[in-house]
Amino acid sequence: MRRLYLSVTLIFWLLVTAFWAGSLWLPPAEKSAAIAIDKSITLTELAKHTAPENCWVAIRGNVYDLSVYLPEHPSQPDILLPWCGKEATEAYNTKTKGRPHSPYADELLVKYRVGILASGKP
Amino acid sequence: MILRNLSIPLLIVTCTVSLIWWAFPEGLSTARTLGIVLGWAGCGLLLASLLLMLRETWLAQRLGGLERMYQWHHWTGTTAYVVLLAHPLVLAADVWPDSRLLAWQTLSPFSQGWPIWAGWLSLLFLMLGLAATFIMRIPYQIWRLLHFGLGVGVLLGLVHLVLLGISDPVLPILGLAVSFLGWRLIRDDFGLAARPYVVGSVKSVAEGIVEISLKPLADPTAITPGQFVLVAFLGPTFRDCGEFHPFTVSSIGANHEICIAVKALGDCTRHIQSVEPGTMVRVHGAFGTFLADRPPTPQLWVAGGIGIMPFLALLRAGPVNQPTTLLYLYRTEVDAAFLHELQVIAKGDQLLSLKALATGDKAPDLDSLLPDTQGFLNYECYLCGPPGMVAAFRKDLHNRGVTPHQIHFEKFEFR
Repeated sequence: MRRLYLSVTLIFWLLVTAFWAGSLWLPPAEKSAAIAIDKSITLTELAKHTAPENCWVAIRGNVYDLSVYLPEHPSQPDILLPWCGKEATEAYNTKTKGRPHSPYADELLVKYRVGILASGKP
Repeated sequence: MILRNLSIPLLIVTCTVSLIWWAFPEGLSTARTLGIVLGWAGCGLLLASLLLMLRETWLAQRLGGLERMYQWHHWTGTTAYVVLLAHPLVLAADVWPDSRLLAWQTLSPFSQGWPIWAGWLSLLFLMLGLAATFIMRIPYQIWRLLHFGLGVGVLLGLVHLVLLGISDPVLPILGLAVSFLGWRLIRDDFGLAARPYVVGSVKSVAEGIVEISLKPLADPTAITPGQFVLVAFLGPTFRDCGEFHPFTVSSIGANHEICIAVKALGDCTRHIQSVEPGTMVRVHGAFGTFLADRPPTPQLWVAGGIGIMPFLALLRAGPVNQPTTLLYLYRTEVDAAFLHELQVIAKGDQLLSLKALATGDKAPDLDSLLPDTQGFLNYECYLCGPPGMVAAFRKDLHNRGVTPHQIHFEKFEFR
């Protein structure tokens, strides 16, 4: 067991180091991944996407299609589902418990961005 | 017997599979599903491991003995560690093809806040605690403290889940984990489960070995020959190291008075050599199945040094019922505790054959000690002594065709 412990611990730290090193040398495609999608989405259009399989959420002026991500969200589905089709910046910033989402969550959101929320338009 | 052998594996499988079944994610990628399943598997294994560290006689009886529980406790703990290390790595690997940055942020606590910090702290506590377990040369007190850190690691792992927003079924599991840790601390380490005894007499039986008789002050502990008890000496004029030590019982009197033999192997046991009659003692147990359920076939008993105690307890309780060869090995004549008494018992018991030998500092020559190459095939063999001696006899007996089922031994190892 001693040998097993030493081997898996060493492999673990080597892989953690590899993930860290991998994040430093980003391929050009990933560096430009955050290119904005400038499609303007109104609150009315946003409100049409309320189903779990068609869930759009507006956060900090952007609109995200979270349909694919919903099953991956760590907490219970009933925490996120009520925000489908709505502006959810406050809920995102506080997680309804006064705690903000992490930078990791911000990074994760980028993948699901479908446009910007049209300001002042119904 | 079969049910007793299967009890611990069944417990572990039930704990682990039920958690995975309950929390099995749907509609995710294979890697993410695997990462989540690994996390829950580690959680179930750690919960089983906590249950297996409890020192309760009724639990040990149902699960096949304390030694067996401890072997499985080590196995489940180490396996949980392996799968929990894989858990974040597999989750990071899941997003690696899409984004290397996201893969690193999946792992990095600096990107994710308290939920991931709790996960990392849990892994680091487990890492340090297991390092202490596998590095045997550190002092016992430091080992104990670091091993206690494993419990903190388990709790932090559950806090990691709560902070992620997964409260069900984590809160009941957290309650169970806290209960098991508290149970172990209060009933076992603080001695609530132990019974009060008092030292009756202290007798030197060999160099660095004393035999101490203990009289019960309340309901006595139920003990059979071959079992061991956990003993703490608690003053007020005398105190040992403030913890329970395992000692094999060397005799059980009709008035429930028991004797233990203590060999000066470390600081604590050296200090116990000077204990005086009247000292208060707490006794927890009894544990051990070493000589239980012996079949009516011829037997070979091999004892090395202080390893004579379980056999002595059995012989003091009455004559043997089957042809028995007792091979008693000790370093020098002054180390041969109870040799004269054993010779007297052997002289009066026709079924018992005693071979006693001083081996010096060299490893004993097994061929000269056990010259009959075929004669032990139908024997049940019981080994008790230093790990090196037990390993050498196991190998030798195996080479002579004795099956592993016929060889019985206890490692008597509590780290």
